[in-house]
Amino acid sequence: MTVFQRHDNKKAMIMFDKAKPEAERLYVGLMMGVVGRGLVSTSHADAVVRKELSVFSAGYTFQMMVMPKGPAFTTEVQADGTLKLLKNFQGKPDLCVRFKHMSHAFLVLSFQEGTARAFANDRMFVDGEVSHAIRLVRCLSRMEVLILPKLVAERAVKRYPAIDMGEKMNLAMRIYGRVAANFLRGE
Amino acid sequence: MAKPYYEFFCPVKVIAGHKALEHVPFELSALQSKRPLVITDKGVVAVGLLNHIHAAFDGAEAEIQGVFDDVPPDSSLQTVREAAAMYRHHNCDAIIAVGGGSVIDTCKAVNILVSEGGEDLLRFSGAHNLKRPLKPLFVVPTTAGTGSETTMVAVISDKDRGVKIPFTSYFLMPTAAVLDPRMTLTLPPHITAMTAMDAMTHAVEAFTCLGANPISDAYATGAIRKISENLLKVMDNPSDADARLELAQASTMAGIAFSNAMVGLVHSLGHATGAACHLPHGLCMNLYLPYVLEYNKDVNGDRIAELLLPLAGDEAYAATPKAQRADRAIETIRQLRDALFDRCKLPRTLLETGKVREDQLEQIADLAINDGSIIFNPKETDRDELLGVLKLAWA
Repeated sequence: MTVFQRHDNKKAMIMFDKAKPEAERLYVGLMMGVVGRGLVSTSHADAVVRKELSVFSAGYTFQMMVMPKGPAFTTEVQADGTLKLLKNFQGKPDLCVRFKHMSHAFLVLSFQEGTARAFANDRMFVDGEVSHAIRLVRCLSRMEVLILPKLVAERAVKRYPAIDMGEKMNLAMRIYGRVAANFLRGE
Repeated sequence: MAKPYYEFFCPVKVIAGHKALEHVPFELSALQSKRPLVITDKGVVAVGLLNHIHAAFDGAEAEIQGVFDDVPPDSSLQTVREAAAMYRHHNCDAIIAVGGGSVIDTCKAVNILVSEGGEDLLRFSGAHNLKRPLKPLFVVPTTAGTGSETTMVAVISDKDRGVKIPFTSYFLMPTAAVLDPRMTLTLPPHITAMTAMDAMTHAVEAFTCLGANPISDAYATGAIRKISENLLKVMDNPSDADARLELAQASTMAGIAFSNAMVGLVHSLGHATGAACHLPHGLCMNLYLPYVLEYNKDVNGDRIAELLLPLAGDEAYAATPKAQRADRAIETIRQLRDALFDRCKLPRTLLETGKVREDQLEQIADLAINDGSIIFNPKETDRDELLGVLKLAWA
């Protein structure tokens, strides 16, 4: 390798290092939108998630965000027990799951690290009632099982549950349909 | 597999051993504190444990300014405000907690009020809402179990709203833990047993759950070895100060382990049973520990197997084929529980408690499935599986 080639490689590495955080930020921003909308859509499509949410009173707000002011989504429990995505939420949510850094959110949202493992590895923390967080983590896990291929979902959850393929496909299509519609409507 | 990432934090100075209390005045003076307030409960006062504290300050530059001895078993915002008022009235500059979990949590919360000012504790509730160091807080545990002297958490009841308020912050960690065997010498046998098994469970779960890391492992296995080697010695000879000191150290080591590695399903079930049936926490830990280890074994049997060494010693470990070590480790814990039952009737099953009805198992499962510690359990658990564990633990 010549001196020039080494120089070019180094330059490329520096450019890659600079581009990586930006790529992670874009990916995490996109995925926050997908997860937020996915959770809302799952609350409409899936009775298991609605049962988990049934203990929350209408108006209960849940937020997932990247510290300090990174991508976030906030949902609110509706009177019928489903979730609604809140736009430009500025108040203090009833429950907030905070990622300590963009790269930690990237690890979780790219399914390299499961949610429980991420908690155990101190990638994120809960501000609010912990038992509520446990319920919402179960909702997130259920959504991941429904919408992700088994090979990917297995990385996100502690144990992939026994679920009928037909049921999974049916629910996944309904959830994806709602998510796509929400994106198209700009919600 | 190497742990891909972990954190470990323990800024608490440990002052341990015979005459450890006599080191407190010097440690306070090193922090420029001369006017400590002692916070404790009526039980500690009744058995004369404060005499050791007062004696340790004889002739010292620092002087105890007052004793607040009105901490109830389940501390409240009102108690915290009253203790903070006494601190301010006497113009104190440090806190000495003498007691168990409730006293220690109260002192952490009092420290927030007297350091930050005002009466509104709730604005600091939740995670990481304190932004600067608090006043010096020295903790003298009078039980060997909770490990609260090394944790960054306090839980205080809001009696008006009927809820428990959690506070979590690095700044809540005490300045020092003072482990003096005189402070646990008078513990009755059944309290000694259940608090030691609480510490044992902290260590076992810290080692076997998702948050385990190499440093917490060292503390956890050290704690397990000390409890295994000394608990029955203390039960047979309660005035054995050396063995008492070993248990006190084990409790603190287990506290350091679990505050960094967290706990799992034994605690989920224990918290739920405590809430539903009002059973002491340590009793629940002793009761559920082997059943949960059995349940988790197919996921983390290799980790449970490693516990045989600190539980049973090197000869037993070496003599046991690798494939049988997990079972033998669980069996060793069962044998320890049997020995404790023989000595102080510490229950091993829900039926033996005499305070749980079989129709309460569903309620316990419903509470346990939403307990915060369940997320750190290595095995995913659903309600039916929890009921299965509870039925095994029934009789």
